[in-house]
Amino acid sequence: MSASTFGSGIRRREDPRLITGSAAYTDDIVLPGTLHAAMLRSPYAHARINGIDTSAASEASGVVAVYTHADTVDEIAPAPCAWLLPNSGLTIAEYHCVAKDTVRYVGDIVAVVVAESCSQAYDALDLIDVDYEPLDAVIAPKAAAAEDAPQLHDEIKGNQAFHWTVTGGGDIDEAFGAADVVVKETIVQQRLIPNAMEPRAALARYVQATGELTLWNTTQNPHIVRFLCSLVNGVPEDKLRVIAPEVGGGFGSKIAVYPADFITVFCSKKLGVPVKWVETRSENYQATTHGRDHVQEIEMAATSDGRITGLRATVHAGMGAYLSTAAPGIPTILHGLMLSGVYDIPAIHEDVYGIYTNTTPVEAYRGAGRPEATFMVERLVDLLASRLGLDPAEVRRRNFIPKFDDGHDVVTGLTYDSGDYDGALTKLLGKAGYEGLRAEQAAAREKGRHIGLGLSTYVEICGLGPSQVAGAIGFQGGLWESAILRFHPSGKVNVMIGASPHGQGEETTFAQIVAGELGVSPEDVKVIHGDTESTPMGWGTYGSRTTAVGGAALALAARKIRDKAKIIAAHLLEAAVEDMEYEDGNFFVKGSPDTGKTIQDIALMANVAWNMPEGVEAGLEATSFYDPPNFVFPYGAHLAVVEVDSETGNVELKRYIAVDDCGPQINPVIVEGQVHGGIVQGIGQAMWEEGVYDEDGQLLTGTMLDYALPRADRLPDIEVHSTVTPSPHHPLGVKGIGEAGTIASTAAVYNAVIDALQPLGVASVNMPLTPERVWRSIQESQGRN
Amino acid sequence: MEFRSTHEIGAAAETVFDAMTNPDMVARCVPGCDTMEPLGNDRYQATMVLGIAAIKGRFRSVVALRDQNRPESFLLEVDGKGSAGFAKGEARVEICATDAGCSVSVHAKARVGGPVARVGQRLLAGTAKMIADKFFACMRDRIEAQLVERTAV
Repeated sequence: MSASTFGSGIRRREDPRLITGSAAYTDDIVLPGTLHAAMLRSPYAHARINGIDTSAASEASGVVAVYTHADTVDEIAPAPCAWLLPNSGLTIAEYHCVAKDTVRYVGDIVAVVVAESCSQAYDALDLIDVDYEPLDAVIAPKAAAAEDAPQLHDEIKGNQAFHWTVTGGGDIDEAFGAADVVVKETIVQQRLIPNAMEPRAALARYVQATGELTLWNTTQNPHIVRFLCSLVNGVPEDKLRVIAPEVGGGFGSKIAVYPADFITVFCSKKLGVPVKWVETRSENYQATTHGRDHVQEIEMAATSDGRITGLRATVHAGMGAYLSTAAPGIPTILHGLMLSGVYDIPAIHEDVYGIYTNTTPVEAYRGAGRPEATFMVERLVDLLASRLGLDPAEVRRRNFIPKFDDGHDVVTGLTYDSGDYDGALTKLLGKAGYEGLRAEQAAAREKGRHIGLGLSTYVEICGLGPSQVAGAIGFQGGLWESAILRFHPSGKVNVMIGASPHGQGEETTFAQIVAGELGVSPEDVKVIHGDTESTPMGWGTYGSRTTAVGGAALALAARKIRDKAKIIAAHLLEAAVEDMEYEDGNFFVKGSPDTGKTIQDIALMANVAWNMPEGVEAGLEATSFYDPPNFVFPYGAHLAVVEVDSETGNVELKRYIAVDDCGPQINPVIVEGQVHGGIVQGIGQAMWEEGVYDEDGQLLTGTMLDYALPRADRLPDIEVHSTVTPSPHHPLGVKGIGEAGTIASTAAVYNAVIDALQPLGVASVNMPLTPERVWRSIQESQGRN
Repeated sequence: MEFRSTHEIGAAAETVFDAMTNPDMVARCVPGCDTMEPLGNDRYQATMVLGIAAIKGRFRSVVALRDQNRPESFLLEVDGKGSAGFAKGEARVEICATDAGCSVSVHAKARVGGPVARVGQRLLAGTAKMIADKFFACMRDRIEAQLVERTAV
């Protein structure tokens, strides 16, 4: 591999167009004759629709059409749930894209207006008169699971979407019965609201004469959109082209295919002209999927010397009013199977209840199930340390899975690929100066100052994943990726990939993979993605899988090219193939590197094909499909240092130090960027963010003024370090890094704040750790009201 | 959303009660109120324009006067909706005679939804109080002006 390309922190080629405003997002695409759609959304969390009068809206200036359920029901199938979790009693509520006779969350679509301009469409929404009969709403997942709770769906008893369990290892009751120590906690993983910079958008162009549809859509997975849109809107897949142009972030919220997307397609089909829909920021808050929303009752059993003997949990996961595209897999497969964390835990049992509530549907949100798992385990380990009077680092060391480089089975049924958890922690403690920090903490306590140290040692599952496993766990798609690598006569390269990066920088890192494999300059490689017509099938960018799975497909395609190039080079040099050697883009006869053929020479010859070996096809192009044999398991150790002002409850984040291991880094600058962003999103959950509904189901945090996103001025410099443990089963050894920071950081910050508050007797505070909450918890523990 | 407020008016309790239950007076004093049409049985159809923060919209509401106990108290029920959301609430109004006239206290509770709830929640109680203050200032001016007129005659 070329040392100057693979592994070097070259600048992201995506950035110039992004920071100069020349990138084109869905809303930037302007087609002649486009009409604009606006969605009328329910202001009630739960209500019966007794009638809709659209007459005034239909006659309004510029309005071309107004559609309600009756107009759309025959042509838009219900929005599908595509993760059919097995053995869980899964009940899928029918999710009509335009509500039938009942609305079930604030934001449920009731009608759509299509008009000549966007403002005319929005103005006309005001003229639609809906006769709502309000019904009782239920918001909290545990309340919705209660016997006397308002029921969301007639056909579903007790609002229960599923009951999933994971059981592994020894007898869990015995583990708890025999335990020296049991620590318990109830954790509320509050609802979070993803805020991609680009809100959701769709532009559909249906040509009635040909029956062909092009859909520009801000999505993380255009091929899945094509598949589902074909099923829901009845456009054959071969006539359906989905383009994800520039996509301004997603964090999981652009995995789902939404009712508004299907409705936009419907409108274009019906009217025979392009129809565009762009969500407002208010719609984004109320109708784009949310994340988390767990209530976790957890306990850990251990011996008196701090060895974990069991972990048991009951989780109520709020799913929202309907099941979003991938929703059932998030609080189950991606959560419960990770409960062993970085530890050898001999017995694990978890019950997860997925519960319908009168809220916006919940989906994957950066980390998707793993932050909720890491938090549980890391919180319990800290509680255990506190109970036993041991340092939290020491308790972790006593329970770590020992270093392994080719597979380790945990009792939940997963086989971790490789890891050295103690190594990561050791490096972290060294870089942080942990002992010095503990001394500083003790000295500060003497002076009445409250400094806290919080550890989070995590492992996560990503690089999703083996398709056979996908099938076994009910995921209604494959999880492989594919890549086409094509050399042009001039030696320049196009790479077409099925995965669809949307901010992660794979246009740069994938060029570096090709450069590393074939010795071309990264500048000579253009990576094409996001258009189902020009790229091969791929399952999308989520679960930190694009580099891990798509990158592997690309590396294998490059190796096919290398094999073919070697044959051509041997022919041109009149040598036997087995006598050929390859180094950094040069194919030569053993011992004669100076008289070799470059990959560019071979690309030209393969394209003109004047002198090809017998039986070898013209062209220099390869396609590869990579279906991973296992997931990959990045891991690391993070430390947060905070100081809490006991007078005001304000938490100051003083230092944040991270050690992450994602295997060999293709581009360390991009890795660092992903780690930064991920950590900040996790800190957001710990400290500021919370999606709040009132008891009637009105979303109270519906604007950027009311929903507190992380701000740079509240954050310290993030100190990023790494270790490198290759994945044994991956062609490049790489693991994912897109979500690692988020998976680790919430627990680190939370543990630090509780550590700071220990002298004040505070053992638990619900997130987010706002000054008010921290202050109140201090007052309560001090017996003041 | 819930709020309380108290207002002093320099007029007899009966005068104030009559003014506050007179739809014409009310229509003139509710900020942004365009029309108030009787529906019978002390119910009225009102249209008004209301703005909270960046949200401004026209509301159509049904206003009902209940539990009228002249001159001491009545209950005002409001059920309104419009492009900016919906509100359903009630206000208990109590009128007590004082040396200077009477004191009117209001205890209002409302459930609101839609854009008003989402965007204006933080400002809702403040806005409600501002509307009430404007309403009572207007009422006081009109009642006291009427009294001056009558005295002059």
